[in-house]
Amino acid sequence: MTVVRLPMLPGAEKTPWAASVNGKDHSIPIESNAILLDVLRDQVGNLGVKRGCDLGTCGCCAVLIDGQPRLSCLTLAREVEKSEITTVEGLSDGHHLHPIQETFAEYGGSQCGFCTPGFLVVISALLEENPQPSDAEIKTAIEGNLCRCTGYQQIVDSVRAASEILVAGKVIQNSTDQKSDPHPGFGE
Amino acid sequence: MAEKKDMVGYRQQPGKLPFTRPGSGGKNSFSEPRDESMIPASQGGEKNQPWGSHRHDELLSGRVIGKPTSLIDSKWKVTGQAHYGDDIRLPGELIGKIVRSPHHYAKVLSIDATKALELPGVIAISTGADASQKFGVLPVTKDEHAMAVETVRHVGDIVACVAAENEMTALEAVRLIDVEYEVLESIHDMKDGLKDSEKPIHDRGEYHIGEANIQKRVFQEFGDVNGIQDNAIASHKSNWYFGGVNHAATEPHAAVAHWDPSGRLTLYTPQQVPHYVHRALADVLEIPMHQINVHRTFVGGGFGGKSDPFPHEMCAAILARKSGRPVRITFDREEVYWLNRGRHPSHIEMNLHADSKGRLCGIETDALIDGGAFASFGHVTTYYNGVLHTAPYEIGAFHYTGARVWTNKPASGAMRGHGAVNSRCAVEVGIDDLSEQLSVDPITFRLANLLPPHSATITGFRVTSIGMRECLERVKEESGWDEKFRKMPLGRGIGIGCGFFISGSGLPIHWDPNKFPHATVHLKIDMDGGVTVHTGAADIGQGSDTVIAQSVAEVLGLPLDMIRVRSRDTDTSPVDLGSYSSRVTFMNANAAISAAMKIRQELIEATVKITEAPAKKLVIGDRRIFRKDDPAVGVSYLEALHKAQEERGALIASGAYRTPPMGRAHKGAAAGLAPAYSFSAYVAEVEVDPETGQTKVHKVWAAHDCGKALNPLAVKGQIIGSCHMGMGQVLSEEMRYGRDGHLMNPDLLDYKIPSIHEMPNVIPIIVESNDPEGPFGAKEAGEGPLLPILPAVCNAVYDAIGIRTHNLPITPDKMFKAIEKKCKLLGIDDPLNLPSPIIEHSELQSTLKARAKTHTQRDIDRRLNDDIEAYHNGALFGMDPTIPPDEVDEKWTVSVLPSKEYLSNPRLAGKAWLHTERRRRGD
Ligand code: FES
Ligand code: FES
Repeated sequence: MTVVRLPMLPGAEKTPWAASVNGKDHSIPIESNAILLDVLRDQVGNLGVKRGCDLGTCGCCAVLIDGQPRLSCLTLAREVEKSEITTVEGLSDGHHLHPIQETFAEYGGSQCGFCTPGFLVVISALLEENPQPSDAEIKTAIEGNLCRCTGYQQIVDSVRAASEILVAGKVIQNSTDQKSDPHPGFGE
Repeated sequence: MAEKKDMVGYRQQPGKLPFTRPGSGGKNSFSEPRDESMIPASQGGEKNQPWGSHRHDELLSGRVIGKPTSLIDSKWKVTGQAHYGDDIRLPGELIGKIVRSPHHYAKVLSIDATKALELPGVIAISTGADASQKFGVLPVTKDEHAMAVETVRHVGDIVACVAAENEMTALEAVRLIDVEYEVLESIHDMKDGLKDSEKPIHDRGEYHIGEANIQKRVFQEFGDVNGIQDNAIASHKSNWYFGGVNHAATEPHAAVAHWDPSGRLTLYTPQQVPHYVHRALADVLEIPMHQINVHRTFVGGGFGGKSDPFPHEMCAAILARKSGRPVRITFDREEVYWLNRGRHPSHIEMNLHADSKGRLCGIETDALIDGGAFASFGHVTTYYNGVLHTAPYEIGAFHYTGARVWTNKPASGAMRGHGAVNSRCAVEVGIDDLSEQLSVDPITFRLANLLPPHSATITGFRVTSIGMRECLERVKEESGWDEKFRKMPLGRGIGIGCGFFISGSGLPIHWDPNKFPHATVHLKIDMDGGVTVHTGAADIGQGSDTVIAQSVAEVLGLPLDMIRVRSRDTDTSPVDLGSYSSRVTFMNANAAISAAMKIRQELIEATVKITEAPAKKLVIGDRRIFRKDDPAVGVSYLEALHKAQEERGALIASGAYRTPPMGRAHKGAAAGLAPAYSFSAYVAEVEVDPETGQTKVHKVWAAHDCGKALNPLAVKGQIIGSCHMGMGQVLSEEMRYGRDGHLMNPDLLDYKIPSIHEMPNVIPIIVESNDPEGPFGAKEAGEGPLLPILPAVCNAVYDAIGIRTHNLPITPDKMFKAIEKKCKLLGIDDPLNLPSPIIEHSELQSTLKARAKTHTQRDIDRRLNDDIEAYHNGALFGMDPTIPPDEVDEKWTVSVLPSKEYLSNPRLAGKAWLHTERRRRGD
């Protein structure tokens, strides 16, 4: 079979790319110009990372690179080789939601939910660094994220509530742990 | 291996248990006591009812209705497991890409796909020749094709589409397709659309209006319009221009089509209105509807932008049929603007008149709206620009001329606050100006001119509950209005604006409402006790699944986690008109309640059988049905359920909602009819920098009458979100077209939606006017709250700097020029010396205050009293309120065609009436 090189595809050959995504090591063949957003969505399978604009304007595609928020649509996958990438799927440990995930649900931080993954990772980075952010700090942290539904106010409410949980050290109920019974007294 | 025993006859399974024991079902095995604070006084509970009782009161079990409730799908959203259009990945999928027109208006002479087809990896290519059927959201104006048939009508119009193994190959194939065009003369200025043209953008056959590009024209006059001037002592006249705005939902459109082995099509799409897509697909693909399943994915924001059946959805289905493989088409942000369907760019002339008693003796509106290249919802929009400002005020006479024209731009359509937003802004700013001319307070002026509850507007709309007065009073008080209005220093200002919006459209688009219901909900409860709710209502993030689940949970006395809503597939959901015109809560929750009532009845009958208590004495609490007078006597929900299931298995029930007969008989009387209307009043506080023209909104007090907040968390979210969107339109958003007609800002950098830094602090205030027909008293809260923010900001800007702008958005450059102009006019060098507007009340103020006071009492009487007389608009002007005015007064006429006299000097949109329809031209 003859192989036809497409004129638009500068680097059709793929070379391995290694990184840890949500704590799991991946080694995937990618093209040299592959965009991190595409690699995460199409190859690693993190469909929680959203594409809203592809131009760095909406913040839906934000992920954490070694703990720092970054727009994956403006990042070449090669740039972040060997780093630790966290997407929205990696915020909970499978048993516990991150406090900001809990409070987003509870305080109306999410309506249609499309912007939510971007907000969540950015806010989780903020809270990691500064568990008690002021309103101005919250605003600065999420200034790169657009939300068309909520008008941001309930997002800020959610951040404040999450901060309270973190500061008070309140434990979020773990609904999937074997030891805790999600349906207490069922069948008694 | 276990020893094999002889099996003789029917054998009990060893260890078989009876059903799960009473009290269980849901997370907590113990039934909670009824929350008396949520049970209304009419049922012996503790909840006060200042607005009277409601027909659904007896259904309240104090569970979830009225409590802030997080969306039932929020855990999906916060964990990244919510799958939107582009997240649907089917094995073997192909990527679809679209060939778009580079010309505004052109004939497609030929399409040559040979080179593209030779490219390895290209599986299918389709052009307009594959789908000749027209479609469109409104059956009266089907004017779209899946792909261009002969003509492209705007830059970005679809010419062909490609399916390939991967995105890069598909894009390359798009590049390789040769299309030959013959460029036609395009039109961009909507005023040109009113003129005859050589080749109108569409041909309506014998219904074509002249040879012009007029898609729809409306003329309406109610009352003695010619007599307005005789009575007026103050008049406001303004010429507005509103830029077009886009929904800018964060999720770009996407569609995945898949034909299964049995030859049925499933289309996955983030849609507000799956049913219309369902119909359009059947038309375009020429297959029966039952061969199609439309699956609504999670929807990443709609706002009206995902409510038409779209050409790209057809393309995906056509490509999938051609290739035999699933096809996924996803838009990039730019393509979203080519699809558009946003708010119409509009020229609106607004004339308002007040008489010596401070009454609105006339409203004369003329609206020319730019429809872009297709009809979309435009037929309705043209009406809405007029009829939706005939309330909440009582009006002496009303004139409206409206016209929607085609231009070679991406089509305008329905967007949050459909058709009402721009003209409402003009009305409310006009009232501000009238109050200024009369030297009265604008809030007092409004309070003295409101229609009462249970009345009819000048156009004959039946208005039931009205919370307008309370909205105005609440924002006045909470904003500290009296201390601030006209009293703040230069550059600081406060302003008021009101809104009025339909809560569901009275007429379904596709059928006779007397034959089919607007909404249907099915319930199914099997032995596990969980309730499966089937509804076609599309949850687009507003929380419709949640509100329907809440309604069912409330009526059955169950915790929310026992309700699961299945609303995605047209295969399993009853037909629903979808999420538009703010109909979902009103209609679907009503349908859900009626279905749940049937189940409730069965449960109560079963309880009667078990306990022998009379049905009348039984009430429903948390998973328990018991005697009201002796709560110890009762059965658990599961016991009652299993009793009811004996002999017949799963309980199923269907409930439906249809609107009551309403409205008058004139042409267009149905447009704007709704079973209920929402009302709102906002006060905005702004800062305008006199030196730079920069406007910043600091605070908004936002009162909205939603009848009853079924989920206050969601209602507040809707109010704040509406402020966001309205703020964008008034301050920064506009689809800007360059001199040669090109869209200059199809991206989110140049099309500026407010970020967190531009958002004011919004204080949502919920007013509950308890609508008699709404579910538990509820009305809409999704669109109406957008209306008041525009005029509130415009009026606040005037209060801040004394400049009225009639051109939106109020960008700093426009404001700066206006300030310069004003300084020049007044001979002032430094803008910081501009005078700030002041007010000294005239005598009329106390007259209005007194009238507002009497009206307050009148309104309370009318809302609490079941036995009230009819009230038609006109009573304020001394007419008999109980009879429609045209039956009393000869001069009071209703006309839907312009007179010769009018045509001798028509207004802007009125010029549309200078043309004659082809069929009436005799040749
Ligand atoms: S998709 Fe990356 S910022 Fe919008
Ligand atoms: S929740 Fe819809 S965009 Fe933010």
